[in-house]
Amino acid sequence: MSGIAIVTDSNSGITQAEGKELGIYVIPMPFMIGEGLFYEDINLTQEEFYEKLVGGENISTSQPSPEEVMKLWEKLLETYDEIVHIPMSSGLSGSCQSALMLAEEYDGKVQVVDNQRISVTQRQSCLDALALAAKGLNAKEIKDTLENDKFNSSIYIMLDTLQYLKKGGRITPAAAAIGTLLKIKPVLQIQGEKLDAFSKARTVSQGKSIMINAIKNDVENRFGGMTPAPGSVKIMIAHTNNYEAALAFREELLLVFPGYDIYIAPLSLSVSCHIGPGCLAVACTKNL
Amino acid sequence: MSYQEIDAKMLSKMFLAGAKTLESKKEYINELNVFPVPDGDTGTNMTMTIMSAAKEVTALGENPSMEDLCKAISSGSLRGARGNSGVILSQLFRGLTKVIKTYTTLNVSVITESCDKAVETAYKAVMKPKEGTILTVAKGIADKAKELSAAGVTDLEEFVGQCLEHGRYVLSQTPELLPVLKQAGVVDSGGQGLIEVIAGAYDALCGKEIDLSVKEEAPAENAKPNLEVQAEAEIKYGYCTEFLILLNKNFNIKTEMDFKAYLESIGDSIVCVCDGETVKIHVHTNDPGLALQKGLKFGQLSNIKIDNMRLEQEEKLAKAAKKAETEAASAPENTAEPPKKVGFIAISAGEGLSEIFKSIGVDYVIEGGQTMNPSTADILDAVDQVNAENIFVLPNNKNIILAARQAAELMTDKNLLVIPTKTIPQGITAVINYMDGSSVDENEEVMISEISKVKTGQITYAIRDTVIDDKEIKKDDYMGVGDDGILANGTDLTDVVMSTVAAMADADSELISVYYGADVSEEDAEAIRTKIADAYPNLDVELQNGGQPIYYYLISVE
Repeated sequence: MSGIAIVTDSNSGITQAEGKELGIYVIPMPFMIGEGLFYEDINLTQEEFYEKLVGGENISTSQPSPEEVMKLWEKLLETYDEIVHIPMSSGLSGSCQSALMLAEEYDGKVQVVDNQRISVTQRQSCLDALALAAKGLNAKEIKDTLENDKFNSSIYIMLDTLQYLKKGGRITPAAAAIGTLLKIKPVLQIQGEKLDAFSKARTVSQGKSIMINAIKNDVENRFGGMTPAPGSVKIMIAHTNNYEAALAFREELLLVFPGYDIYIAPLSLSVSCHIGPGCLAVACTKNL
Repeated sequence: MSYQEIDAKMLSKMFLAGAKTLESKKEYINELNVFPVPDGDTGTNMTMTIMSAAKEVTALGENPSMEDLCKAISSGSLRGARGNSGVILSQLFRGLTKVIKTYTTLNVSVITESCDKAVETAYKAVMKPKEGTILTVAKGIADKAKELSAAGVTDLEEFVGQCLEHGRYVLSQTPELLPVLKQAGVVDSGGQGLIEVIAGAYDALCGKEIDLSVKEEAPAENAKPNLEVQAEAEIKYGYCTEFLILLNKNFNIKTEMDFKAYLESIGDSIVCVCDGETVKIHVHTNDPGLALQKGLKFGQLSNIKIDNMRLEQEEKLAKAAKKAETEAASAPENTAEPPKKVGFIAISAGEGLSEIFKSIGVDYVIEGGQTMNPSTADILDAVDQVNAENIFVLPNNKNIILAARQAAELMTDKNLLVIPTKTIPQGITAVINYMDGSSVDENEEVMISEISKVKTGQITYAIRDTVIDDKEIKKDDYMGVGDDGILANGTDLTDVVMSTVAAMADADSELISVYYGADVSEEDAEAIRTKIADAYPNLDVELQNGGQPIYYYLISVE
């Protein structure tokens, strides 16, 4: 077989099974839990992950090892001409930087896309890459197309509690802006590279309305305006072990974006371990 | 004696007489309050407003120029204005003096013109002017003045006398215009205050002897915008001790209560909040080591902060003295740091509520509220303390909003934005909804729209028998006062709390926040929390120590 192979990591939310179906190769992200090393969707399920997280286990994330990445690339290059590699956002992990470095040894056959996507938006990039490849673009052209579009995406995430954010010591500006006396649900945003504070809410419905308004505002002012379904943008929902709430949230979003096909997926575990279960996120990307 | 004209000397005498008369009727006017709650009393507020002007007028001596006199009356009352009727009174004076400052003597036609201007200015100062209030009384008097002037009356004694008489008549009709007055069986208190001022001025015009001396002591020490003032009396516990415990042991309600009891045995001003993983401790104590050791039993400590409050106080006093020196010598202090873009000032009573406001990012808390409305000047003083280009002011009381707006108008070098929060929970919601990344205008819009989504119930007691909102209320009854009237009343505090919550909670509600006041014990507050949580199993119930006076509980539902 010749052509282009699309490679991503499990942060895209694409499962091993789904990857096989779509023709996308998914590198499992490694997690250190307690003393053990686990691979997402290989020997660690979503359920087990949250069980350990809520149980108070120390979970830390890591990059895929260069060896694994290179082994996969080399195996794929036996059958494909080129590879488009779409790792999680370079703003959130060093995976992208490492992959860019490794790719230098492959004479341009491996194109690493640095378009700062994560979770459902990363998944969308993979689907876009497939479509672009089918149109006949080469790997470099796919990379450029995706990277030119990198700012046309945003994610808003409402946290159920500040607990995990504080524990991880990450995202200090967000945590620092919020006092600890009152119970507050922070709403964070991912615009391009950074995970940052956006707003705050006291109740779930306040948080949801903040997110819906933010997405609506982005669509109107950044992504070319509101258009009837299927629309000029894709709207997606991600959640951390909160599927029922995600379903209800979709109904509310459909009131603002009637007829849109709103995809729901669990949020990437490497983000989840910093924000905990019970979160709800809405994401939006401009159609290519 | 009969006059066709009055000069600045006479006007000064009349003004001071009006102020004195108002002061002497202060208590009577306070009792005309419609709501039988122990609140920002109209008589006190109007008196403080006019006394601030009277002080400046007295300082001019017996023979002021008309222009100086007008300036003293206008700026003194504007800065001293507190409470809604105080602000309206100050605006009446502002309009009045705008006209008369251009004359050296006043006759009927000048006074008629100035009354007209006064009414126009006061109506403009109020967003939604309501009839049956001080405004109506002022308008009635201005109309009468026009009528008398047109009829050719030139004798001032007759003129003022008739205006006053007509004003009294309009005042007597206020219950016909405002049903709440009729139900409570009172006339409008602000209108009554205005009549007293004019009656005093009329007495002076007629040559009645009135003691015009204005006492030098500053009014309203109670609303001074300085939280630390109370602490200066005597510091019982010297170290402000704060730290977080990163729990590695179970910390349940029982351990929390034991912990608090222990802290109470070594100090005061206790905060002990657990969020499952960490516990935040705050205590004023003479032995911080004891608190830390106790904390260590439950896990590692972090964010430890210990301040010596006695030393701080000495430094502060020294600094204040130094500041007073340098200020006397030079222009206002230059803060070296560049101003930040946005700051917050909240008006709130009670240490717990102040802590809450500060924890969500408020820069300065003016101690005040229902029974002690800060004046425009108090708010301006607070603004001086906040080094920011744009400052959001949260009045958190409907009787303070106008004074805050007045402060915003007097402010020139900073942009003051008043978010019209009528209750403490509205203020908290406004601050929480502030978004760092958005513009000041966008934030203002969002905050104003969000505060309307919070329902507040305030639990207090009745200071007299009355009928309001068709509810018969007995003195000392407990009452739940909602955003638009009385929600519940009765003789059992718990029942009143539960009925108040029931009147606010609906299918869309998610969170009930309860802030308990200074007169409620923690155990009682916990019991109320449990009772509410049991009654509304699907809602989150959050209990906070507000420490506010007057209100046993402030409850919000959102």
